[in-house]
Amino acid sequence: MQTTVVGNYPKIPDPPAPGRWRTSVEKLQRGEISPDDLHRIEDEVTAEVLREQADAGIDVVTDGQIRWEDGLTYFTRRLTGFTINGLQRYFDTNIYYRQPVVTAEVEWREPIAVSDYAFAAAHSARPVKPVVTGPFTLAVLSKDEFYGNRDQLVMALAAALNRELRALAGSGAVLIQVDEPGLLIQRDRFAVFQRAMEALWDGVNARRALYTYFGHIDGLYPALLDLPVDVLGFDFVAGARNWEVIGRARFTKELGLGIVDARNTRLETPDEIAEACRRAAEIVPASSLHVGPSAGLEFLPRRVARKKLETLVAGVRRAWEGAA
Amino acid sequence: MTNSGLLTTSVGSLPKPPYLLEARRKVSRKQLDPQALADLERRATEEWIRRQEEVGIDILVDGEMYRGDMVAFFADQMDGFEIAGLVRSYGNRYYPKPAVTAPVGRRGPLTVTWFTFAQGLTSKPVKGMLTGPYTIAEWSFNEYYPTRRELVLELARAVHDEAVDLEKAGARYIQIDEPAIHTRPEEDFELAVEAMEIVTRGLTAYTITHVCYGDVPRIYPAMLRLPVHQIDLALKNDEFALLETFRSPRFTKDIGLGVIDAHSHRIESSEEVAEGIRRSLKVIPLPQVYISPDCGLKTRTADEAAAKLEVMVEGTRQVRKELS
Repeated sequence: MQTTVVGNYPKIPDPPAPGRWRTSVEKLQRGEISPDDLHRIEDEVTAEVLREQADAGIDVVTDGQIRWEDGLTYFTRRLTGFTINGLQRYFDTNIYYRQPVVTAEVEWREPIAVSDYAFAAAHSARPVKPVVTGPFTLAVLSKDEFYGNRDQLVMALAAALNRELRALAGSGAVLIQVDEPGLLIQRDRFAVFQRAMEALWDGVNARRALYTYFGHIDGLYPALLDLPVDVLGFDFVAGARNWEVIGRARFTKELGLGIVDARNTRLETPDEIAEACRRAAEIVPASSLHVGPSAGLEFLPRRVARKKLETLVAGVRRAWEGAA
Repeated sequence: MTNSGLLTTSVGSLPKPPYLLEARRKVSRKQLDPQALADLERRATEEWIRRQEEVGIDILVDGEMYRGDMVAFFADQMDGFEIAGLVRSYGNRYYPKPAVTAPVGRRGPLTVTWFTFAQGLTSKPVKGMLTGPYTIAEWSFNEYYPTRRELVLELARAVHDEAVDLEKAGARYIQIDEPAIHTRPEEDFELAVEAMEIVTRGLTAYTITHVCYGDVPRIYPAMLRLPVHQIDLALKNDEFALLETFRSPRFTKDIGLGVIDAHSHRIESSEEVAEGIRRSLKVIPLPQVYISPDCGLKTRTADEAAAKLEVMVEGTRQVRKELS
């Protein structure tokens, strides 16, 4: 049983500590610092959140996605074929993303996340997993003005991101996570989703994790077990029904167990966490469990995110002790 | 005031002048007495009332010089809330997100003192400005109530009491902003309607709700069941594409027609405003149409906001002249 996170981490500490990243962006906008200066600040903040996750006791961490404007812009601005439009609500949250617009053939032209991954890996005491927004979700949340066929866009993105995953694996990532929350709002397109996953992971020499969040997987399970991935991560908070759903067929993958509510400040207790771990261990061998939050932690203030991770680690430890 | 059509108004917030922003910063650093800040807030309110009168706006707002965030302003003054910390909404924009940790309720009037002050400065009507229960709930963490429904309905009772107090203080127009209303339309729209019924029950004032950011077609025509006289919407930022949606079934409420993009620096031309109104009048009958910017103007500079209001009024006058 290991502990992990799903993705992003709050970029600024709680006041009165200065929000260095935030003020640096303001300074950049006023022309008082250069993009290189901001990049250096982001290096420092990345190192800080890597340390914070390790100090909390998380086994497999992310870089906190400190450099991501949002989960779409970060990738689409460095693929060909996209322009970036106005703000849209991100699923049922109060977080916004700029909507990518497909205006030409989508192609991968250069590594997108590789240098950020390499920086994080070099500055982390714990293994780092890179996270990539999946082709299906990118397609669902983008506006297509070029292909005129939604499935074609998904497949073009899958081919482009396949090159990114290969580049990440080539730079040393042993576990790569792909996020596909978009699947849960267009469940009836599982056939193309499956084809996209096959193209996406083709020849990627790393362990493969696929995460959904913000809802349940009823209607998609057990079909999800046919996907060419090693780990399936689900949200057991917004998708509490997943407990029942995954009991319907023998779970043959490793399980990303999203049980700490990433979208509410209410703190779980270690006992609640331990109980959920024990429950999951009846479905999947404990050694195949990756216990974590239900989604990225940037929905929370930094102090609460940190406490949630500490509680998560304490709960998992308690589950182990109970099992011993 | 009887509506001969095309009465002009604002959505709510207006930019804080630099001296007020500076004073707010000083108060947060405890370098300035809060009483001195309140004096400056009154001065800025009076300046905006005069400015709106000069520009020729028909229904004024107080400009919300004394509010930071539209949810925190209410949460700070009510029972049951704590400010959990800062959460990022987009880019380097953060908002203080409250957490509900106990039963919510009003200790006393929340907006009446400012309404009375602003209305005392002018013979034109000033709108009472409230944030709606669904939005307050949605943009807060809920640590206390077992369901969102219970929280929303309890908040609706509190907002209703506030609306009654505004009416007693002389408000003839009361606006209840619900920018979060389409966060989960399938799951929650009925709840939002039910909450608005509680808020507006028994009021004699003209009631308005402002909805922005998000997928308006998804809540159309259901939104016409909201028990208010007017729904205020952003048309300009998507170049009036929403008009297609409102052709059928037809828009049966009054509409607050957003004809000015609140989030761009560019000042529209008065002809552009007039053209937007002309296009809209082909879809929605004249007596139902009020003219406003897309959204609160607080993110613009004071000069930009004033210039945008001027072209809005000029463009409106042009259309009135053509119609007379």
